Amino acid sequence: MRAAGRLGLYLTVTGVAVLMVLPFYWMVITAVSPASDILAFPPKWIPSRLTGEHFAAAVAKAPWLTYYWNSLVVAVVSVGCSLVFGLFAGYAFAVYRFPLQNVCFLLILSTLMVPVQVTSVALYVLLARIEWVDSYLGILAPNFASAFGVFMIRQGIKAIPVDLLEAARMDGAGEVRIVLTIVAPLIKTTLATVAMILFLGSWNDFLWPVIVINSQNLRTLPVGIALFKDPYGSINYGPLMAATVIATGPMLIAYAVSQKYMIRGIALTGLKG
Amino acid sequence: MRRLTWLLAVLLCLAPGLAGAQAKATVTIWYPGGDITAGAAHFGDKNLWTEFEKTHNVKVEAVGLDYDTMQQKVFAAAAGRNIADILFIDTSWLPGFLKEEMLEPVADAKAKAWLSAVSPEIKELSDYGNGRMWGYPQYGIDIYGLTWNKEHFKEAGLDPEKPPKTWAEFREYAKKLTKRDAQGNITRVGYAIRHVGHPHGIVHKHFWALYGAGVQLVDDPNRLRGGKAVINTDGGKAALKLILDMLDQDKSTSLNFPDPRAAFIKGIASMQISETVSIKARQPKDAPELKWGMALPPVPKAGDKPVSLLGAWLYSVPKQAKNKALAWQAIEWINSAEKDYELCKKYDASPRYKVNWDKEPFKSDPYDQALKQLYPAGKKLPINLGLNGVMDAVGGAIQKVWHHEASIDAALAEAEQAATKAIADAAK
Amino acid sequence: MIRWRRRSNRHRHLLHAYLFIAPVVLLFGAFRVIPAVQTLLYSVYKVELLRGRFTFIGLENFRALVADPAFAKATVNTLAYVAAIVPISAALGLGLAVLFDARFRLSELFKAVYFAPMVTSTAAAAMVWWWLYNPQFGLFNVLLRLVGLPDQPWLMSSHTALTAIIIFSVWKTLGYNMIIYLAGLQAIPQQFYEAATIDGAGTVARFWRISVPLLAPTTTFLLIYDSILAFQVFDQVFVLTGGGPANATNVVVLELYRQAFERYNFGYAAAEATVLFLLILGITVVQYLYSRRFEVAY
Repeated sequence: MRAAGRLGLYLTVTGVAVLMVLPFYWMVITAVSPASDILAFPPKWIPSRLTGEHFAAAVAKAPWLTYYWNSLVVAVVSVGCSLVFGLFAGYAFAVYRFPLQNVCFLLILSTLMVPVQVTSVALYVLLARIEWVDSYLGILAPNFASAFGVFMIRQGIKAIPVDLLEAARMDGAGEVRIVLTIVAPLIKTTLATVAMILFLGSWNDFLWPVIVINSQNLRTLPVGIALFKDPYGSINYGPLMAATVIATGPMLIAYAVSQKYMIRGIALTGLKG
Repeated sequence: MRRLTWLLAVLLCLAPGLAGAQAKATVTIWYPGGDITAGAAHFGDKNLWTEFEKTHNVKVEAVGLDYDTMQQKVFAAAAGRNIADILFIDTSWLPGFLKEEMLEPVADAKAKAWLSAVSPEIKELSDYGNGRMWGYPQYGIDIYGLTWNKEHFKEAGLDPEKPPKTWAEFREYAKKLTKRDAQGNITRVGYAIRHVGHPHGIVHKHFWALYGAGVQLVDDPNRLRGGKAVINTDGGKAALKLILDMLDQDKSTSLNFPDPRAAFIKGIASMQISETVSIKARQPKDAPELKWGMALPPVPKAGDKPVSLLGAWLYSVPKQAKNKALAWQAIEWINSAEKDYELCKKYDASPRYKVNWDKEPFKSDPYDQALKQLYPAGKKLPINLGLNGVMDAVGGAIQKVWHHEASIDAALAEAEQAATKAIADAAK
Repeated sequence: MIRWRRRSNRHRHLLHAYLFIAPVVLLFGAFRVIPAVQTLLYSVYKVELLRGRFTFIGLENFRALVADPAFAKATVNTLAYVAAIVPISAALGLGLAVLFDARFRLSELFKAVYFAPMVTSTAAAAMVWWWLYNPQFGLFNVLLRLVGLPDQPWLMSSHTALTAIIIFSVWKTLGYNMIIYLAGLQAIPQQFYEAATIDGAGTVARFWRISVPLLAPTTTFLLIYDSILAFQVFDQVFVLTGGGPANATNVVVLELYRQAFERYNFGYAAAEATVLFLLILGITVVQYLYSRRFEVAY
């Protein structure tokens, strides 16, 4: 009975795993198989030979390095700013008492309820007026700070004993120095988790960049891949899948290396959210 | 010493002026990159503008945009006051841009000279009523034609040189050409339809049947403002029913097939109707073995006049261009009779000027001459400012009917109402 | 002396406090709060961006919305999408989480595999599925043919396209739901189960009587979180179908994207955004209030 239960468990878990992996597997196989294999029936699960031609075609058709660079710039700047601004704001909300504190905090949190999907129209009009459309600033505008980040960091700082901060003040440390040299190291796990989640969000963000970016040389990876598809119905799936491998590969590798940590971080924030 | 200071000061004041005089003005062009349109091929040539740049002391910069987002980009750039000097645009976008009053018209005298020098189909494409032009159509215009796979015709016992002429023949051929596997899945359709994607594309590819059956979409195709939609007619119903019957009764076409051109090139569709130029451009690379013919689309019944959609890309100048005079000069230069000849020869396209048609290689090129047979049937889209809404409505109706979401009568009635409203809204 | 220093400290801290929150408050004010308020404002205007003209038209946009079949279709599709994706993902996620609650070999690896779609960009993953869904050569129909089943049109038919998108989204979000439920399950003290076992409750009874009620907060969170995300669905629709065929997969965000950025009807799009916001707000509040009644404290 117990053995049968184990078997059932493994069968179910493996079956679901196959379904989950299948798209990734087929993406890679299509990308490295010769054209005749791709349209073969019955399907060729293992390519008859490996080919790099689809990658060559994908690279010739779009500037992937530029897309990577854009994604990276946007992610690093938005995560960096969100962390620094979030650290100081989180500290202020956690440690100080000041007039309008709750109003400001609620104002920041309330933006979580109003996604960029809702505000995109007015935000675009605003950015068009200050000529930020089609620029890095345009993509970054709604992402310089993160309400989620402020909230998580505030929670983290609240757990720090007040005595620790008082002791530092007695030693004559300024507030900025306290935040940077005492508080930040103490909540580095929280900071790292927030950084990871924001990075992931920025890296995969699609709607806002697709709205605000027009030039090819400013496209981020998801926008680049979505517009890679021939609008007249592509018939060349090899290059298309090679392009998706290029676009998703590094993030999947990063995930493979750090999956335990990433999953734990996301589970944690999920419970607290 | 003091003199020297003065001299320096004067030089400093002059310096920006001098530098400005030396820096060349730049004329920018936006065009659709990739292999969307045959007409844009020459923008990839680095030396295309060299001669013009020399004689006018300017720099011409051509920037390839993405077809999908190009319209959006043009709007955004106009709003941001940061637009190119020359726009290379699809004629079907014209009403959208005119609605926002974004384009400069071609000067009357220039328009008159152009209209009298070009062949009739180019005149049809250029003239938006009383000789008014919004740009110069590029060579390599799109004429929609029926293309068929000659091998499939042979296989099905049909004469590979004789395409179907009437709707009845068309249905019969399509039935014979359709193939199925053991389970009854259609593996090859006799005729591939466009039924997904942007509604405009769907109308473009069914235009032959609509126009062929006498549906003009709007009451006056050359009227810019106002008027009403005319879609819900016997002709409109017949045009939609033709494909519906092929789907449901003949089972000679299928919703399981995506883009008709892709299907045709892949050999899983025997006939399709779209821009002939795109098959010509893709076939040698994607399907070198494919033998195909092209002809005018079939007509409802013998004796009817065939109609086919004529489209093109226009060189136009936006109102907010920074170098308007230079932009027009550049456009006139690239669209001169000499350049027309030179570029058409180089890029294997058919010319626009009447004088060039009398010259070789066009005079005896089989593809160009075949196109010339199609051209007289060419008809461009109406100009109405509400065209986008009209196309959305008609495309939606076609989709709904073919996907069995609505009856023909209901879909067309709804579409006509929506289209008329779009026209009225756009005229405000 | 000491008192003086304290007061000065407080003043200094006040200054610090405002300085520290200033960047976040200003950035949020400029790029989140003002646009949110403006969205409401624009919804009663006709906005002509190219001419810089804003004309007040009262509730005209909303009146047009009500009569617009495309918007009605988009709203219905969005609601159908939410109604399908949220319970399916949560139920499957819970089922898998229960399996993973028991320790077994390679469980970490399996967990990682289930979660992988979550870290992939939706646009790129949808591109892969677009190929899988191809009716002639795509893997799904090829597999159906292998086992002798008829071809499915998937994205090509107005009757199956929305289902195809939902299947994709379940694949994409399943891992997240599972991980959250798993964390919830592992937070339940073991004594509860032990006590129930002594009372003679079987596995199934323990699941229904202990796990499910004690997971209520997790469920509430997931339902709200998943539905907020589901209401905003855009990326996969944009890539897989563009809202077609015949508007069968058009959703509210795509519709407002089209109105704003393809047709330049900013006022109308703002009205659509306002409706979307009200929908999200309404559903969230209802779910929150309703589920609170079932929460069990422990």
